Amino acid sequence: MAKITREEVLKLAALSKIDILDTEIESILKQLQDVLSYAQRVREIAGGLPGEASIVAKAMPDMKSEAWDVKIASNKNVNVFREDVIQRTDCKEILDQAPESQDNFFVVPKIIENK
Amino acid sequence: MSLAFATIKQLREKLAKKEISSPELLSYFTKRFEKFDGKLGSALEIFDQKSVLANTENNSTKEISGIPGLIKDNICQKNRIASCSSKMLESYVSTYDATIIKKLKTDGALLMGRANCDEFAMGSSTEYSAYKKAYNPWDITRVPGGSGGGSAAAVAAGLAPWALGSETGGSVRLPAAFCGIVGSKPTYGLVSRYGLIAYASSLDQIGINTRTVYDNALVLSSIAGNDKQDSSTLNVGKTDYTKNLTGKLKEGLTIGIIDNALNAEGMDPEVKKLVQDAIAKLESLGAKIKLVKMPSMDYSAATYFIISRAEAASNLARFDGVRYGLRNTQAKTLNEMYCQTRKDGFGAEVKARILIGNYVLSAGHASEYYVNAQKVQILMRKELNDLFADVDLLICPTQAAPAFKIGAFDCDKLQMDLQDYFTAFVNLTGVPAISIPCGFTKEKLPVGFQIIGPHLSEELIFQTAYAYEQSTEWHKMHPAGYED
Repeated sequence: MAKITREEVLKLAALSKIDILDTEIESILKQLQDVLSYAQRVREIAGGLPGEASIVAKAMPDMKSEAWDVKIASNKNVNVFREDVIQRTDCKEILDQAPESQDNFFVVPKIIENK
Repeated sequence: MSLAFATIKQLREKLAKKEISSPELLSYFTKRFEKFDGKLGSALEIFDQKSVLANTENNSTKEISGIPGLIKDNICQKNRIASCSSKMLESYVSTYDATIIKKLKTDGALLMGRANCDEFAMGSSTEYSAYKKAYNPWDITRVPGGSGGGSAAAVAAGLAPWALGSETGGSVRLPAAFCGIVGSKPTYGLVSRYGLIAYASSLDQIGINTRTVYDNALVLSSIAGNDKQDSSTLNVGKTDYTKNLTGKLKEGLTIGIIDNALNAEGMDPEVKKLVQDAIAKLESLGAKIKLVKMPSMDYSAATYFIISRAEAASNLARFDGVRYGLRNTQAKTLNEMYCQTRKDGFGAEVKARILIGNYVLSAGHASEYYVNAQKVQILMRKELNDLFADVDLLICPTQAAPAFKIGAFDCDKLQMDLQDYFTAFVNLTGVPAISIPCGFTKEKLPVGFQIIGPHLSEELIFQTAYAYEQSTEWHKMHPAGYED
């Protein structure tokens, strides 16, 4: 796999909304690289090598066929419905957990910075 | 008989005969935490006894009634902190009971405290708890496993007769094996997760730590079953999982041994020998043994890394400093507040998993990682289904090696992650499994093995595990230094 760059780590951190210190980048980069290199082995089995059917494709040639409809208990459990009824909760209890609240609202820092 | 290592069943008999009262029992185990947990680090908090007794119903018809237990810190108990061993939720107080907590209270169980674990249940050693490490009672220089190391260490050391954990890739079974006790992971959907703080929702399931198979079945009987609050629960009614524990195997029971697991690279020879001894024991009890292969198992850790991190990245987005938990108060804008709060609140491992999750889900990489992982997951389910057409149950090691030293993988996080090698495929396929003790290494470190069955085969798994357990002495061995 391609090497992960410092820029990619910073971009991921921004996407994940986590500030990362300069001193942390190297160790995070190594951990990401190690885990992702190892995880790449799923491609061997699922994706196959060029010109060769993968192990997954050989075991289950038609992904849309019954063979894929693996009969497990939790697969039967689809579309569980319930009545759409309002259940009242005590807002105070919930708001008490908030770092900052006012009246019946959560308070956050300003969203757009003044220039 | 020492009360410390008495089973739930034995304690219930004492309560019924009025040899001891449940407040006395609670006081006894509370004192044991005070005496031993300073060095073990298994609990984050032991509640004051009055509040524990006030928070439960008097229901002496249930075996678990009046028996103290410890709850992993990612399960919500009303008016108690649920921190997930994270700074992010250090002062978060739950406003409701998880469904299983409600059930346990209705059955009269005494919920005495919060068990230490890896932060947000991410880890295999309990070294990633933001508060303190937990230690293995058999050798204090070693880890108890993870993520539920606190639950397992407390039960193994006789500080609590039972404890609840949660499983995403092996977090109940691995600590059970490392600590020489029983750990179960029920079928996906058998136990409600309403009130379990989510890590990877398609895999998460509540699990149970006890010292005996009977006790494990007993706790499951209390918490299992359909819940309207968790639409992923299966339509299973009240079941007594202890009733099949006859001490005999099912007539004509066929067990498959996952050969490629037992002969996996890096398998410790002592561990392998002990698992082989367990297989021989089951054969002598009348089981028909078949060698089988599950080729996709060798890809399960990789598949698990991808799926669990992807779901974690999504689930942990809710910790943003707005509605609950930590907030960085220095930040001037909303975006800064998100980024600083998550920097301050999450530990290094949690941050890394979120980043990996967002990487494998991102536009350029999803087809290579996430989509392929899902294909392998389906292959795994097919392979297991095919195997269960031929055999009733499967046997697989729980661990490749005995509990490792504290700090052993500080510089090699991948090796830490690979501790899930033999356990993660059970979560990926949703089937039930149990890890039970099968002996000790020369260094006196416990070893366990797994019995795995098809969906909703808990009764057969418990019956088989119990028959094995009753023909051995392993469950009667306890770590030295924890007597009264």
